Amino acid sequence: MNKHTQSELLELQKQALAVRKNILRMVKAGGSGHVGGALSATDIITTLYFSVMNVKPEDPNWADRDRFVLSAGHKCLALYAVLAEKGFFDKAILDTYGSLNSPLPGHPDMHALAGVESNTGALGHGLAIAGGMAMGLKLDRKKSRVYVIMGDGELAEGSNWEAAAAASHHKLDNLMVFVDLNGLQIGGQTSEIMANSPLADRWRAFGWHVKEIDGHNIEQILACTDGIPFETGKPTVVIANTVKSKGFSFAEGKASYHYWSANDQEMAVAEEDLQKAERSLQQ
Amino acid sequence: MNMADPRKSFGEALLEIGKEMPNVLAISADSSSGSGLTPFEQHFPERHIEFGIMEQGVIGYSAGLATTGKIPFVVAIAPFLTSRPFEMVRNDVGYMKQNVKIVGRCAGMSYSDLGPTHHSLEDIAILRTIPGFTVIAPSDPIEIKAAAWAAAKMNGPVYIRIGKDKMEIFNDNPDYTFEIGKGVTLREGSDATIIATGVTVYKSLQAADMLAAKGIKVRVVNLHTLKPVDEEIIIKAAKETGRIVTVEENYLAGGLGSIVAEVTSQYAPVPIKMIGVKDQFASNGPYDELLALYNLHPEGIVKETEAFLK
Repeated sequence: MNKHTQSELLELQKQALAVRKNILRMVKAGGSGHVGGALSATDIITTLYFSVMNVKPEDPNWADRDRFVLSAGHKCLALYAVLAEKGFFDKAILDTYGSLNSPLPGHPDMHALAGVESNTGALGHGLAIAGGMAMGLKLDRKKSRVYVIMGDGELAEGSNWEAAAAASHHKLDNLMVFVDLNGLQIGGQTSEIMANSPLADRWRAFGWHVKEIDGHNIEQILACTDGIPFETGKPTVVIANTVKSKGFSFAEGKASYHYWSANDQEMAVAEEDLQKAERSLQQ
Repeated sequence: MNMADPRKSFGEALLEIGKEMPNVLAISADSSSGSGLTPFEQHFPERHIEFGIMEQGVIGYSAGLATTGKIPFVVAIAPFLTSRPFEMVRNDVGYMKQNVKIVGRCAGMSYSDLGPTHHSLEDIAILRTIPGFTVIAPSDPIEIKAAAWAAAKMNGPVYIRIGKDKMEIFNDNPDYTFEIGKGVTLREGSDATIIATGVTVYKSLQAADMLAAKGIKVRVVNLHTLKPVDEEIIIKAAKETGRIVTVEENYLAGGLGSIVAEVTSQYAPVPIKMIGVKDQFASNGPYDELLALYNLHPEGIVKETEAFLK
């Protein structure tokens, strides 16, 4: 395992904070959005783009790039926020969120915005698309990898398990999935709506190498991406324990903020939360 | 009349396409040998990818493969690639504009004895609603090969619908050309026009002969491409012959008859008789008898056309 310096970790935390600011900026522009899952996945997506993936914002279709598929497409505020921060497009575009013909629709469109790799939103699609990408890259003997974010509620979709079986059968060890295990979905607790435990065993049974981490601990996120594939010939899944709406104090851990229709009072709290986080990073 | 197996014909074409186009892949959902893919698999084992019985997965994987520049031809029993994974076809292939070719074989009622679970009478209707999709129902083995080549050469999602039983080879003439989106007038006539697609084209030609013997001269149009539709040939037929009979091995809802009506009602309104399967799950039994049950045999087309023209 590579050692990551404290300054590298601090830098990533600052970038994650900038991403959360971008998320809030979009919600301010559009009035509402799927913030819960975006915020729970923010630290992972930020770390991937700023420290793990080989991408070129100035050449978004570079053939040797690593790919990112947001299977849980409703978390797109986090993806847009990261892509903007990474320089794929002008941050002014963030202010178009929610407006007619915005390149930032409520679920991502690869033909509308540089850096977006797939049109997800209907759940249970992303893993198969990502598997196909990983397979195509392998056929071309490329070293590129494919990273996927899945929601835990999304795992109830049966199509995921078709895709999971095919990934291990075809030995796609260039494929890495993060399950954003925030434990909540729109209607409440995932464990009550459609339980997915024992989740690690499920993935193992499908032939995957499984890791479990704290999905807000950047050091752990980095550690789990060092040295993949952990087993040659096996795809990797990281079960990332997260908090829904992480970073917005009034919404953390509440299913009701799966989709946030912002009011002025909550908006002010969210801004304060981000300011506080900024001050603590500066100390 | 010489005949050939549609699936074998498709497989022969795909092998030749594969030799010329290294990015072409054959994708199987435990459907390879029944889809005529064995020659391709033997020639290009690395480019033949087996997924087993997972038709949702296979469409998603194909879309992902296409993002890396591959040209996947996914071939399986028609309903399992169209109605079952419809959302994957719509989003992953259609909305993502991926260069995936979906070939539904044993389409229509050609898995006649296996019953409605294995019939595909709505595939034309549902796939043509997807923006940017090309939908083709070739009329004979020569056209199957031509359609496969045309699909491989164009960039974008394509659905090709082929049957199961041997088909008469009638496009074997030196003037034959195939162009996506261009219908073909096979027989001239002035009393009415029969517009057909897929397996019903040859049956319509036979019907036209039988009608001619009775003094009724019908034009016959092969509308092999259902989308993009050749509006010009339909409007011309409406204006010049005044009446149209549509013949399709498909539900009347949303299929060829609907397509023709969508065009004529806007640009050249004429009476239309639609022959096809009405709002019911089809029965089962020998294929020819099943087609006849819905007047999709030459005698049935003659009977319906005569009644329509009275």
